[in-house]
Amino acid sequence: MTAVQQAPAGPPGAPSGTAAGPAVPAAGAAPPERPPAGRLRRAAGAEPAGIARALPRTVAGRIRALTGAVAVVLVALLVVAWIAIGDARHGVKVIGKDAGPQVVATSDMYFQLSDMDAQLANALLAGAAPGGGRDQSLARYDQDRQLAGKALLKAAKLARGTTEDDTARELLDGLGRYERLAAQALLLDQQAGRTSGRPPKQVLDVYRQATDMMKLDLLPKAYNLTLDNGTLVRHTYEDKRSDVRSGALWVVVTGVVLLAVLLGLQAYLARRFRRLLNPALAVATLGALVLVAGCAAMLGGQADHLRRAKEQGFDPILSLSRARAISNSANADETRFLLDPARSDAYEQVYLKKSQTVLYLKAGNLDEYNTAVQKGLSFGGGRAPFLGFLGTEAGRAADPDRPADTDDALRRVLADYQKVQQNDHRMRTLTDGGQPAQAAAARSASTADFTRYDKDMQSLIGLHWGAFEKAVKDGEHGTGGWYAVLPVAGLVIIVLALAGVRPRLAEYRWQS
Amino acid sequence: MGTMGIRRNGSALRAAAALLAAGTTALAAAACGIADAGESSVAHKSELTIGVNTDQPGVGSRTGGTYAGFDIDVAREVAARLHVTGSHVRFAPVTSKTRESLIEKGKVDLVVASYSITPERKLDVAFAGPYYVAHQDILVRGSDAATVKNVHDLAGKRLCRVAGSVSYPRVHDEIGVAALPADVGEREGYAACLDGLTANRLDAVSTDDLILAGLAAKAVREGHKVAIVNAPFSDEPYGIGLRKDDIDGCEKVNKALTGMYQDGTMPRLLHKWFDPAGLKVTTTVPQFEGCDEA
Repeated sequence: MTAVQQAPAGPPGAPSGTAAGPAVPAAGAAPPERPPAGRLRRAAGAEPAGIARALPRTVAGRIRALTGAVAVVLVALLVVAWIAIGDARHGVKVIGKDAGPQVVATSDMYFQLSDMDAQLANALLAGAAPGGGRDQSLARYDQDRQLAGKALLKAAKLARGTTEDDTARELLDGLGRYERLAAQALLLDQQAGRTSGRPPKQVLDVYRQATDMMKLDLLPKAYNLTLDNGTLVRHTYEDKRSDVRSGALWVVVTGVVLLAVLLGLQAYLARRFRRLLNPALAVATLGALVLVAGCAAMLGGQADHLRRAKEQGFDPILSLSRARAISNSANADETRFLLDPARSDAYEQVYLKKSQTVLYLKAGNLDEYNTAVQKGLSFGGGRAPFLGFLGTEAGRAADPDRPADTDDALRRVLADYQKVQQNDHRMRTLTDGGQPAQAAAARSASTADFTRYDKDMQSLIGLHWGAFEKAVKDGEHGTGGWYAVLPVAGLVIIVLALAGVRPRLAEYRWQS
Repeated sequence: MGTMGIRRNGSALRAAAALLAAGTTALAAAACGIADAGESSVAHKSELTIGVNTDQPGVGSRTGGTYAGFDIDVAREVAARLHVTGSHVRFAPVTSKTRESLIEKGKVDLVVASYSITPERKLDVAFAGPYYVAHQDILVRGSDAATVKNVHDLAGKRLCRVAGSVSYPRVHDEIGVAALPADVGEREGYAACLDGLTANRLDAVSTDDLILAGLAAKAVREGHKVAIVNAPFSDEPYGIGLRKDDIDGCEKVNKALTGMYQDGTMPRLLHKWFDPAGLKVTTTVPQFEGCDEA
């Protein structure tokens, strides 16, 4: 209340954004500030406003004016700090608790959908023979479908705006159609009565429809939906971080004004009353200095926590989750390559494209790509010699805030990746050499290497999760007590200031 | 004595006011900086200059002062969804050599010019979309349609090789098909390949299917029989190029593209331009690249 009444009073009211006017000389500023000073004095239990009518040109009037200025600037400081803390808390909440983790959860939908299609291919390739792995594949398929449904629901809840809503709805519709095709393919395969080997043509035809639909319709929409929802997090991050930073600047500006007014009061009292130091006022000044420094440092820290949560948490988690999902679907393209030789050219090309999305090295075909990958994937110190998702991750190595051990974890992922590509190369060489059975065997034998790659990828993502959670926790703890600190510190400073001036005013009254 | 005190008092206040003014100025400057960045984003522009191709019939071509083609329609539609229409949309010719530098220098706001997204290009410019994933495919004379079923059938055939284009090397070097080169200069381009094909100087033309469809439509108009093989062997994600730091603009363009697929605009444009050539188009939204990937 007081702040609102006092804000337009004079130059110290400027921080609330209205004034920015010319530097008003002291004399001009004084009169309107009288009533607030009187109010505060009453609040502090001083004498009633009997002397409030004294002209500001008198010494007492000037003291009151300066004290009033202290109160106004102090309130402005507290308001500015309060708002900045609110911004910081909101930013941490959105990125750390609400949208951030949910966006990450929806990014898993891409993985689950592509894994559904991979498991369908596995089930068809395995055939109905007991122990062939069909039941296992179908169990995983069901699990994927459940998780994908859950993630879709979350994504739909996050969706802001009709475009995202429509995408979520189309995705739900598409999932139903995909399931129908999958069931049809499995039923046809069962009716064919084959126990192993390649499925008959009519089964492959239905499977092609299903996998095309997954690739061209469902996966792009799932991916785009996560991108859309990710923009929400990016906007909140940028808005709140810049709010917190400009809030910190405002705190410093109003803080410096407050200190200047306090020092001005101190100097005036020293002049007028020939005292060396007003102890209460000195303590108030010191308190204000500590408050401003502490508050500015805390807000700077908050901006940094937000940055760490975003750049070492949210961003890498999201991009590595995508890399993991794309790797998994590329792995399934190896199965499809064996399952459907008529389309082997296309599946090989797609495998190359997906591999280059994960880790880009210039290459026109898989032979060249494998050679380039095997040449070595060292990184560190500046830009990595490769691009793609893993290249971006390697580029983060330059950030000093990078969570510990991520470089080692990334090196493990890269070594696994080399092995995976080497296995792929062997399988394709066997296929090209007209040895499909050996190729299929080589493919089964390489499963363990891919699983290790996937596991190491998950632990790399886990390290970033740790960094994310720590930054969010730091952000929450960093602001926790400040809502209590601000009013208490404000009250202490104003009481000290009043305690400092009151005896002087009392001393002066008989003079006037 | 008293005057001294007042003067000191006044100077303290004046110093405070000066500090305040300085702080306000600094903040105002910061706010202006943000506003400037916002204004130069394509998301907030009231006029747009869009870089397009001029030599690809059906995709992006210019006759006289009039631009026409699939890319041109896409560019107009995206601009309209960014609330820029009519004479506020200007087209400027770009080539594969000038695209990046024109974007970086701000001479064009958007590039819609059968512009494939690659990790290398993403280092210099931002990409919205892709708005379509084209595929390298093959165009042959109608009489050869029965014998050329996929890229491997090009072995021993005379395949058009345009200087500076990656399409021939992809078939010959990367896929390893022993096609015979039939050379065409860079300036003549794929239009000369079509002339060679219809005049029997070569047997096949291979490049992005959208460009082939444009050529095929032109050939049909001129009374020749040609056919697209419909055996795609590469993915060419056509993106919309923007300045590297214009993430807001990139997101807005992506939203526009999503809307164009959802309300049927994009399928309509695809059918309008490529059905006559017998090309099978994909009418579902492609997987976007994302705007804030480093």
